Amino acid sequence: MSALAYTLAIFILLTAIATALFRDVLSTIVVFGAYSLGMAILYTFLLAPDVAMTEAAISAGVTTILLLLTIARTTRPSTDRIFERVNVPAVVVVGAFVMVLGTLVLPEMYAVGDQTAPIWGWPALDISPSVYYIENTVADTHAHNAVSAVLASYRGFDTFGEAVVIFAAAIAVLIVLKREVFT
Amino acid sequence: MSQSETQNDTYSESHVILTSVRILSPFTLTYGLFLALHGTDTPGGSFQGGAIIGVTILMLAFAFGIEPTRRWLKNSLITGLVTGGVTIFVATGLATMVLGGTFLEFDAFTDAFGLSHHWGMEAVEVGGVALIVSGVVVTLFFAMAAGFTPERYNAVQEDVAEVSDDD
Repeated sequence: MSALAYTLAIFILLTAIATALFRDVLSTIVVFGAYSLGMAILYTFLLAPDVAMTEAAISAGVTTILLLLTIARTTRPSTDRIFERVNVPAVVVVGAFVMVLGTLVLPEMYAVGDQTAPIWGWPALDISPSVYYIENTVADTHAHNAVSAVLASYRGFDTFGEAVVIFAAAIAVLIVLKREVFT
Repeated sequence: MSQSETQNDTYSESHVILTSVRILSPFTLTYGLFLALHGTDTPGGSFQGGAIIGVTILMLAFAFGIEPTRRWLKNSLITGLVTGGVTIFVATGLATMVLGGTFLEFDAFTDAFGLSHHWGMEAVEVGGVALIVSGVVVTLFFAMAAGFTPERYNAVQEDVAEVSDDD
């Protein structure tokens, strides 16, 4: 990763901490939107443009707007303090958890693009799903975006379930809010 | 649609927001359609495209007011988007079964009509996922904007009954 990507990672860490610490909910939402935008750009550095577009459209866009709509219907607590009071025991527990994860799990993870990673095929198996999709997507589906081919064709039934889940989520919101119209 | 017409209107009257939304919304709509329609060949796809199409409506609602946008947007249109998307997705899957394949096995279209495999993908992506996602984004926005206010719901219902002659 380039220096720009590391700068972006630091920006994401800072906005994440600021999201947790800001006392004013409006500030939290704005900083959280900046965090999502940073994540979206980071995904493009990791060569995942499809995920980046989803992050930018859903997390930075729709979620921010829905959160803004929600706090518009609440009252803002009047306070002079900018930051939330830090709960020291909680920080110690969470910090210890992050340290354990960082020292035990992170060194075991494969580097980005490492071709010995299991996604490129277990040594015991001859066939690797990733290699199969990359080599056969165009011949099988006549589509040039392998991600779309996996989502819509190879795993079409999963996508059908996801689409119905989104539909069910909208219906559930309408039922909870006792509304009988979509608009 | 009628139950919250008399709620507080959030019409902004900000020239900056109005002008930028007027200029930007055709481009975001085009970009969303581009992502959805070219999802099989370029990065992006119908989920992202559908979300951006839905966000275009959200931008209009922010600039021109939520209630005017709610009134301008027909409920049948959003209902058609969401349920139509699910229907097209199911119908495509069932069509492949009728033609002798398994559920969503698009090669059945190739055997029956000579259609390329990726037209089946386009059918479920553009006709299914993009419609559902754009409709659901708009639905969530207007549902959140209306909120849960049973007392106001009843009050507004009476108001609407009184003024219904004017509409």
